[in-house]
Amino acid sequence: MPTALKHKQRDGTPYRRPPNIESWIEKLEAIDVASRLSQFARASRKHSEYVPTEVVLHFLRRAWIDGEQGQFEKIFGILLPRVEQSLRSTIWNSRIGSATDIRDEIVSRFVVLITKDCTSQSNRLDFFEIHFDQAMVALRTSVLRKFKSIAGDITTVPLGSLESDGPEVSSEVEAALEAFLSGDPQKIDDPAFRSVLFAAIDLLPQDQKQVIGLLLQGIPIDAKEKDVMTIARILQCDERTVRNRRDRACKALKAVLEKEAEL
Amino acid sequence: MSAEYPRLDEEEVLLAFSVEPTHDSATLEHYLSQYPEHTQALVDCSIELMMNASRADEDVQVSSDQLVEQAWRQFQAAMGSAQSSVIANPFAQLTPTAFKSMAKRLDISNLFLIRVRERAIDAATIPRRLVQRLAAELGATADAVSAYLGSPPSIASGQSFRSNVKPAVAAQISFEQAVETSQLKPAQKEALRALRD
Repeated sequence: MPTALKHKQRDGTPYRRPPNIESWIEKLEAIDVASRLSQFARASRKHSEYVPTEVVLHFLRRAWIDGEQGQFEKIFGILLPRVEQSLRSTIWNSRIGSATDIRDEIVSRFVVLITKDCTSQSNRLDFFEIHFDQAMVALRTSVLRKFKSIAGDITTVPLGSLESDGPEVSSEVEAALEAFLSGDPQKIDDPAFRSVLFAAIDLLPQDQKQVIGLLLQGIPIDAKEKDVMTIARILQCDERTVRNRRDRACKALKAVLEKEAEL
Repeated sequence: MSAEYPRLDEEEVLLAFSVEPTHDSATLEHYLSQYPEHTQALVDCSIELMMNASRADEDVQVSSDQLVEQAWRQFQAAMGSAQSSVIANPFAQLTPTAFKSMAKRLDISNLFLIRVRERAIDAATIPRRLVQRLAAELGATADAVSAYLGSPPSIASGQSFRSNVKPAVAAQISFEQAVETSQLKPAQKEALRALRD
C-alpha cells in the first residue's frame, strides 16, 4: 500500500491519489530500484508503459525520506525534464517577459516546493501526486500573475489591428467560433482549430481573456436572479462592460482565425 | 460562511482547485464563494485549466541538461542553507565578551575559537575531547555541537567583532593547520595536540 498523502482537505480528511496512480505505485514498489529507474526514464507519453509523472514524483519524495541520495538525484534528473515538457507544450508566446524567463521562474518555484517538502516545511507536493499537469497549471497561473503584477498587462501589437481591411470572416469560421462561444468546447472536434483559437485567446488582453474564458465555461454574462453566478458579478463590473469586452475579443479572435484559415 | 476555514494563500487555493475532479462552473462557484479574495486568480486558473484540458498530449522534444543542472544547483544551495538554519548554532547566544572569556577558559586564542565557530575547520579532524569541552562551555550536548561543526561553512551573520583575519567562506582547514596558524602560544598548541583522538 502506498503511504497516504498528508495534506488535508478543508473537512479534515486527507487528500487521496486517483486509483490509477495508486496502482502504478503499488506495481513499481514491487520491482527493484534499477528496473524502476529504467522504467521512469521512458520519455514518450505515448508508450503504454510510460510512468505517470505523479508516480515519479512519489518515488522522488520517498527516496528522500529513505535517505537514498543517489536515487533521489537520479529521479530528480528524470522529473525536471518532465516539468519543462509540461511547460513547453502549454506556454504560448507570452507577452510578459520572455517565455523562457517565465519557464525558468516556474521551474524554480517547483524546486522551492521540492526543497520545502524535503525539509518538512510544506507538503504541497501532495497536489502534484494527485494530478501533476493540473497542479502545474495552478503553479503557472500563480507565477504568471506575479509577472503581470510587475510588468503590467502589456500588449505590444493590439490584436484588433489585424482585423482592419481584412477579408470578411468566412461563415464556417464564424459558425465554429459561435459554437465554441456557446459554452461547450467539445463542440469543436478539430484539435487544430482549438489550438489556434486558444493561442489567440491567450494573446487577448487580460480583461477580454477573462470574459471569453468564463463564457467558454458556460457562465452567463448577466442574470436577473440574484443567486446566479454571472460574469458581471464575478468580475464586479457592469454587464455592458462585459459585453463590450466580449465584442472586442470576438473581433480580434475572428481576425486571427480568418488569417489562419488563409494560410 | 468561509470564516470557519483557515485562510490559504493564492498558490495553495489554486493547487487545491486544480486537483478537483471536475472543473465545471459549480466547482468554480464553490471556490469563488469560499475564497472571494482570490477571485481573479481563480478565474485565471479556471481558464488555464480549461485550455489545458483540450490540448493534445504531445511529446515535446526538450533539451534539458542545462535545466536539470541549474535546478539541481538551486536545490542543493537551498538545502545547504536550510540545513544550516535547522541545525542550531550553539555560539549564537554568546556576546562578544562571553565569547572572549570562553576562549580564555579553554586556553585558546580568539582566532582559534572564531575558526571553530565559523566552521573553518574540517569537523572530521577536530578531536572529540575538544568538542566535549566546547559543548560543556556552551551548555549544549556534544552531538549538537558536532552537528553544527559538521554543517557547511558560512560566515555567521549577525556575529562579528574585530579580528585580524578578514571573514570569508574559505576552504576548510584541518585541525592541525588551525593549531599551527591561529596565533596560539607553544604551550596552547601542545595542549590542543594532546587532545587528539
